Amino acid sequence: MSTGPRVSLVLALADDELVIGHRHSHWTGVAPHVEEDLAFSSIAQDEIGHAVVWYGLAAELTGKDPDTLGLGRQPDGYRNAILVERPNGDWGYTVARHYLYDTAEDVRLRTLADSAWAAAAGATGALLREERYHLMHARLWLDRLASGPIEARRRLVDGLIAALAEAPGLFEPLPDEDELLADGTLPVSHDEQRRQWLEIIAGDLSALGIEHVLQGEAHHTDGEFVATSSGELLSAEESDGRSADASGGLGGRHGRHSDDFASVWEEMTGTYRAHPGATW
Amino acid sequence: MVTTATSVTPDDVRAVLDTVPDPEMPPVSIAELGMVVDVRVDGGLVELDLVATYSGCPAITLISEQVAAAVSAMPGVESVDVRFTTDVVWTPERIAESAHDKLRAFGIAPPGSGQTLVQIGSRPAPVACPLCGSTDTVADSPFGPTPCRSSSYCNACRNPFEVLKP
Repeated sequence: MSTGPRVSLVLALADDELVIGHRHSHWTGVAPHVEEDLAFSSIAQDEIGHAVVWYGLAAELTGKDPDTLGLGRQPDGYRNAILVERPNGDWGYTVARHYLYDTAEDVRLRTLADSAWAAAAGATGALLREERYHLMHARLWLDRLASGPIEARRRLVDGLIAALAEAPGLFEPLPDEDELLADGTLPVSHDEQRRQWLEIIAGDLSALGIEHVLQGEAHHTDGEFVATSSGELLSAEESDGRSADASGGLGGRHGRHSDDFASVWEEMTGTYRAHPGATW
Repeated sequence: MVTTATSVTPDDVRAVLDTVPDPEMPPVSIAELGMVVDVRVDGGLVELDLVATYSGCPAITLISEQVAAAVSAMPGVESVDVRFTTDVVWTPERIAESAHDKLRAFGIAPPGSGQTLVQIGSRPAPVACPLCGSTDTVADSPFGPTPCRSSSYCNACRNPFEVLKP
């Protein structure tokens, strides 16, 4: 098989990590207290480091260097899910997205641990070890806000509703998904991974008495993604304010992004674009 | 038949690697930290497989450069290829006994101080303070000054200290 499908798989993983890492880093210096400053800075560093691992695999397949892959593409060349490019918003949204994302990452890393692609399977060993701390942190805050004062619970619920509306984009099937499934690179489809993820979060949210936030997710639970027309789902009106839209946050795996991506792309690639090819 | 005046052995290379300090825990060498996975020598060509303590470790490039420089300086070495592998997963158990006291003196609890793999929803077990040995300690944060370390506090000697993440 050509290397194309594997490149698109690792770029989706790497771009998700790079972009959420940048968003997490925006809490550095301004988190609610110093422990969280440290936590989000450390998680950001981990996620960007994990992006480098996946870009390294893409580099072996494409012959391009990891920096060029990570920072040298135009916005429509990025394959991250729309959920990860959204601004941090308030603490409720931050915790909600952090929890949904890291739970999703746990599912997809466990899936890839069984990949027929030995290099990808090998990379998951260290990543799963390190991601445990992210998941633990996210769930600690999920519990804390859910069982906190009414204001904390309300903000968490609002954050979960907004993030859940776009979380299906984390499991958007890749353009070359059939080929990846056929040769065992991807042992389980993204549709099936999403079902596993939903089962985990439904259990957690039920235990906290806030499973009602999943009602908006119900129309996605049959595992069938609605085909979306190119570009339309990402109009500014639809993405404004992270309001729940009908797109399910899809489009990222095809390079279609929300307006929020422009600012994070400009920031994270700014130095690279100003000094292309520089040695640091 | 041509013979080289000096021929390098893998053990020679490992001995040199034991002189390369970890950039973030300089009392300890990268060999003592358990970062060396494999050393292959073919004449003057040396290939090294290392494992990072954390995959997001920002010191990886620096370590590669310092290792390449140290090994290149060995008589008989013509080229060095340093690679980071994911074939093994680094855990603190890879750290050599010889490094434990050095880590303690540096304020880091070595493996075997009571660290447990933290499970979601469970509290981490108390870790013995590297400075006074007390187990009257609390885990402050699973995060610390570098990706591979977490933060704790000793109620007995009232010092903050760090723990290598299990």
